[in-house]
Amino acid sequence: MKHEPFFWISVSCGIVIMAFILLPLIQMMSAPSVGMLKETIQDKDVVRSIWLSIYTAGLAALISFVLGTPLAYLLARSAFRGKRLVESIIDLPIAIPHPVVGIAILSVAGKNYWIGQILSELGIRIMGSVTGIVTVLTFVGLPFYLNATKTGFEGISPRLEKVSRSLGASLFSTFFRITFPLAWRSMLIGLIMCCARAISEFGAVVIVAYHPMIAPVMIYERFEAYGLKYSQPVAVWLVSISLILFFLLRILTLHKVKE
Amino acid sequence: MITIRGLNIDLREFQLRNINLEIAENEFFILMGPTGAGKTVLLEAIAGLIPLMSGKILIGEREITGLPPEKRGISIVYQDYALFPHLTVLQNITYGLHFHRIDKTHAEKRLDRLLEVLNLFGLKQRFPVNLSGGEKQRVALARALMVEPKVLLLDEPLSALDPNFREEVRGALKRLHQSSTTTFLMVTHDFVEVLSLAGRAAVMNKGRIEQTGHVKEIFEKPASPFVADFVGMKNLFKASFNETYAMVSGVRIEIGRTVDPSSQYLAVRPEDIIISRNKFSSSMRNNYSGIITQINNQGFYYEIAVQIKDVSFKGLITKGALIELVLEEGIPVYVSFKASAVHVF
Amino acid sequence: MKERRGYKWLMYGVVAIVLLLPFGKSFGDTTGKIIIFNAGSLTIPLAQMEKDFEAKYPRVDVLREAAGSQKCARKISDLKKPCDIMASADYTVINKLLIPVYASLNIRFATNRLVLCYTDKSRYANEVNAQNWHKILGRKGVVWGHSDPNLDPCGYRALMVLQLAEKYYKIPRLYEHLIANRPKENIRPKSVELVSLLQTGNMDYAWEYRSVAVQHELKFVELPDQINLGNYKYDNFYKQATVKVTGKKPGTFLTMNGKSCTYGVALVKNAPNAEAATAFLQYMLDPQGGLKVLQKMGQPPFIPCRVPTEAMKSLLPKPLQNLVEVKD
Repeated sequence: MKHEPFFWISVSCGIVIMAFILLPLIQMMSAPSVGMLKETIQDKDVVRSIWLSIYTAGLAALISFVLGTPLAYLLARSAFRGKRLVESIIDLPIAIPHPVVGIAILSVAGKNYWIGQILSELGIRIMGSVTGIVTVLTFVGLPFYLNATKTGFEGISPRLEKVSRSLGASLFSTFFRITFPLAWRSMLIGLIMCCARAISEFGAVVIVAYHPMIAPVMIYERFEAYGLKYSQPVAVWLVSISLILFFLLRILTLHKVKE
Repeated sequence: MITIRGLNIDLREFQLRNINLEIAENEFFILMGPTGAGKTVLLEAIAGLIPLMSGKILIGEREITGLPPEKRGISIVYQDYALFPHLTVLQNITYGLHFHRIDKTHAEKRLDRLLEVLNLFGLKQRFPVNLSGGEKQRVALARALMVEPKVLLLDEPLSALDPNFREEVRGALKRLHQSSTTTFLMVTHDFVEVLSLAGRAAVMNKGRIEQTGHVKEIFEKPASPFVADFVGMKNLFKASFNETYAMVSGVRIEIGRTVDPSSQYLAVRPEDIIISRNKFSSSMRNNYSGIITQINNQGFYYEIAVQIKDVSFKGLITKGALIELVLEEGIPVYVSFKASAVHVF
Repeated sequence: MKERRGYKWLMYGVVAIVLLLPFGKSFGDTTGKIIIFNAGSLTIPLAQMEKDFEAKYPRVDVLREAAGSQKCARKISDLKKPCDIMASADYTVINKLLIPVYASLNIRFATNRLVLCYTDKSRYANEVNAQNWHKILGRKGVVWGHSDPNLDPCGYRALMVLQLAEKYYKIPRLYEHLIANRPKENIRPKSVELVSLLQTGNMDYAWEYRSVAVQHELKFVELPDQINLGNYKYDNFYKQATVKVTGKKPGTFLTMNGKSCTYGVALVKNAPNAEAATAFLQYMLDPQGGLKVLQKMGQPPFIPCRVPTEAMKSLLPKPLQNLVEVKD
């Protein structure tokens, strides 16, 4: 079968993009020796830092889920003055340079600012703490969760919810029986995006917390101190573990075709 | 049963002004009007899905104006069925039972009856994605009636269906209405549905109700030019009135009765206009000769436009009659209609 | 017609010349880039020096990268990053990590001393003084820190001050006690990062060079000369402090011994722009040039600068030779 030029152009672009993404990654993943990889994963500091990355990203996703879901629903369903403004503000964290995010959060968390003073009195510490890391990761990950979930809600006809209410269901019941079962896949995809964004964050975290050390900071530190040879294996482990996690989560979103 | 007093809605996209309506229990009432008239808005306001700016809604003696939708006992059926895609047909129909305390045996009996009347037995375990349009609408109806609502609102329930399904579901609607005490309030464009299902109706335009009354009355005695045009009175003219006759652009039309001096328009239904090749004597007081200017094929019948001096009249004629009379554009014909067929307002 | 054609070619010619201008190199003039890796505490003085130097030599672009001094050295020796000049907060770092393979010159040009910095938002800010600072740093709830000893001399020097304090105030186990109140989270790679933590109120006290405290307008506690690593007369006392830091490979270690803070600058071997780098050093080591800038910014320079041996002096490029003296 003969294909049109447009088809071949699309395929070529696709191949270029795949190569662009895969070649550097494959080179990096295959650079360390097996021995080096084994040695790295046995280093307690490395394991601790990868685990810290995963679990702070997970916490950030959880917070995004709890705080972001009601807002996403509100944005999907209502029209109000200034809605565009709110949506633009939500997208702001994506546009701000990462070190600027770190500096901003640090300034707010310090005793020179009223929020910092309250935190200090409550004994909550942002600088150099897991709390601080989760704060930063939530800041950068929220927009991803919000946008994916909002789109998910928008894809559900409001009429379904109206019918549900007319049949006697309250707003809460309607949400849990109708909206959520239809939207959960979008929400899960939003969580995955939020997690992915959080695990890879570096520039903002390194300003707020050098220790405890998340994996990207460790990779950078090792690179600066010892060079490629000692930082690549950590990178390989982080990327591999993240890939497996995301793959498993993605499988959950596969649509089961019901008969 | 349903009483609406002074209802006003003012939202950015749509407005309703001073709506007053009284619908009796177990009536089949129809809301008509052009697109954008506000019919769906009114339905959703009655269901409690849209907030009011002012006004009252009562069901029976009970005022429901401030109540949330789930407490009103009003079901709604939409044009696009709005079936819950993740639930089976049976789960869809019994959805409302989670929120109403209905005795189990009673519920089962009701379920069986609905399944029977709407012919849904074989579809119980299917998912909406595997149903045809007509099947989906029947499930939607069953779901709405399962909770025994006092009022059933229907928003153009038949317009998304294929013509063959339409008749089927129309029949089901009639059966359901007759076998229950629920008041039906339906929105539609289709006059066939209006004429076959409704007792009384209202015509809406630009957020207001133009006319309320029995269907026959609306079609035969429209209260305003808008309603007249809407119900298909094609021969609508501005006229000056003088005792028992009127003048329309130099053509004298006998009305046979004295009319309200403030009247400005007259209209004649196309069906009431008789077209013939030869002059014939009859009791009809309006007789004219004119030229056929247009013959339009309307499917089941033909619309003939006849020019009489400066006035153009439109009449309807079957295909058979067209052939028999050998009508063509440009030939002279005679036009007659009764004085009583002239509607004045 | 012919006239217009000629006009077009003239335009092309002008455009071509304008586009090619940046690539033209004028002979005999100092041009090009100078890459400097410098210690964090030299950032502000060097920024001023860059401005002054570039005003004199407009065709030169000075590019500075600040980091802890060991990190600077590693960038040259391990990562083989191109560099013309390295300016270290501790000249021994140049000796230990760069000489002889990557540099053969090490010119000592300035001194400094450690102080304890704070702001008026710091806990117990209205109490702290030269006598009670070590009690305050040990109090629960006080957030204090220093830079990473493995990457920055200011880091290991801060630890040395604490060790010396134990001996000076004769308080046994003071060092252990203080370190216990300084969790890892309060360590940053570069000492200047601590400044922004102080300024935002995220940290109460930080160990910094006096010059940095002055440059950033921070409050600070002056310590007795015996422990502040600022007076070479006390070198014998300072010797008692030792800190182990990481070596070239993970798992290997170096021992740093307490010594008065002496800054060193090296001209890197195989520098990409040795000609311009020499011109810069000529300016920097001039008592009326760079050294004056340092003086103004609270960092006492050596006038003249010093090299340890006659041999090294002879290795210096000619223009620099009369700016230094031989002194051990």
